[in-house]
Amino acid sequence: MEHVWDFESVFTNWRLLLTGLGNTVLLAVVCLAIGLFLGLFIGAARYSKNRLLNVPASVFVEVFRNTPALVQIMWFFFAFPIISPFRIDSFTAATLGLSLNTAAFCSEIYRAGIQSIHRGQWEAAKALGMRYGEQMRRVILPQAMRRMIPAFMNRAIELTKMTSLASVIAFGELVHQAKTISTIEFNPIETYTVVGFIFFVMIWPIAIAVRGLERRLSRHE
Amino acid sequence: MGYEWDFGVVFRDFDLLLLGLVNTLKVTGLALLFGVPLGLVLALLRLSRHGMIRIPVGIVIEFLRSTPPLVQLFWLFFALPILTGINITPFIASVVTFSLQSSAFFAEVFRGGIVSIEKGQWEAAKAIGMDRGQSMRRVILPQAVKRMIPAFLERVIELMKTTTLVATVSYADLLYEANTIAQATFRPLEVFTVAAAMYFAVLFPVSLFVRRLERRLGRTGEGTVH
Repeated sequence: MEHVWDFESVFTNWRLLLTGLGNTVLLAVVCLAIGLFLGLFIGAARYSKNRLLNVPASVFVEVFRNTPALVQIMWFFFAFPIISPFRIDSFTAATLGLSLNTAAFCSEIYRAGIQSIHRGQWEAAKALGMRYGEQMRRVILPQAMRRMIPAFMNRAIELTKMTSLASVIAFGELVHQAKTISTIEFNPIETYTVVGFIFFVMIWPIAIAVRGLERRLSRHE
Repeated sequence: MGYEWDFGVVFRDFDLLLLGLVNTLKVTGLALLFGVPLGLVLALLRLSRHGMIRIPVGIVIEFLRSTPPLVQLFWLFFALPILTGINITPFIASVVTFSLQSSAFFAEVFRGGIVSIEKGQWEAAKAIGMDRGQSMRRVILPQAVKRMIPAFLERVIELMKTTTLVATVSYADLLYEANTIAQATFRPLEVFTVAAAMYFAVLFPVSLFVRRLERRLGRTGEGTVH
């Protein structure tokens, strides 16, 4: 069977692809920002001694880590609107699903990073008269952050790949745009090949940077 | 507000959900069956001393790891029939995609485990007259495998979560069945919640087991790889 490759029919639709790329990046950036922010508080709540904080935080983390992201997105799109006080469009549903998913994973990264800091650092900060919040903010987090960066970058990679799931609820990111193009032009092979490459070009440099960072960190410590 | 929950509709069709779960496990199991040996082969090739082997294999692994599985699945599902003339079912497309996709991740787990073994072990094996293949099989791999187990199980969890994508090519997995029932009963809230709970019921015990294992391996002083 001879297939005549026709990439031109993909590139004539570059506007659709560009919109898709914009939406993919937007979704990834928004979810990463929310996930990183929420993750810190969820992580802190999970390891607090107060059961009213740590039990719900643990349940949240376990639920979001142990159910598929696609189920989460579909839940927020099809199920949540029934009890939601506000309207949910596909972007909101995808953002809710992916940010909470990312928050759950990030909270674990914060925990591992904070626990990796030697106890002497806490004691030293305490000896200087700092309160818990100050110890955390001024002494522990700045040191832990450096060690967490590769793990957060890995999360960013996973998240960028997961944004493709939003195509299932018709959010106009790259894969959804690819569906549209391949339906108009009957060229699924070329379109998905191009979209695959776009993702690769976005993600691979981050993967290389992670490896470089990890090597540098392991040499220092 | 004041929504009246009715889980009755879900349990009337619970056999369908269970059937979906069986199909989910079937795809996961088959992808593991093919993905793990393939991953080992890829890892060994990537560790080859010949650039002609190492570099192309590295590119394949990186490509599979750096593109969304959904794109890979669509590519295979739509492209393979056109390129080869063979019509493939959603089931076969799914198994092939997830075998390949997971093999790239398993390859990295294997590679991480192998390179984590101290150089002295290689030298010792060589000193008693083993060649490279023998050293790998008899000395390095048996030690490396133990360190890989947690990372390996972590990948199995990820794999099972990723198989939900098969629903998008109409293979009747748990998510697909849930979606069908939700549309038929107009009870998406209950149906999707139960489906999520079913995934959780399978995956959570595995997660707990991984954590216990990591702690145990950590205590005996054996590192684990990620």
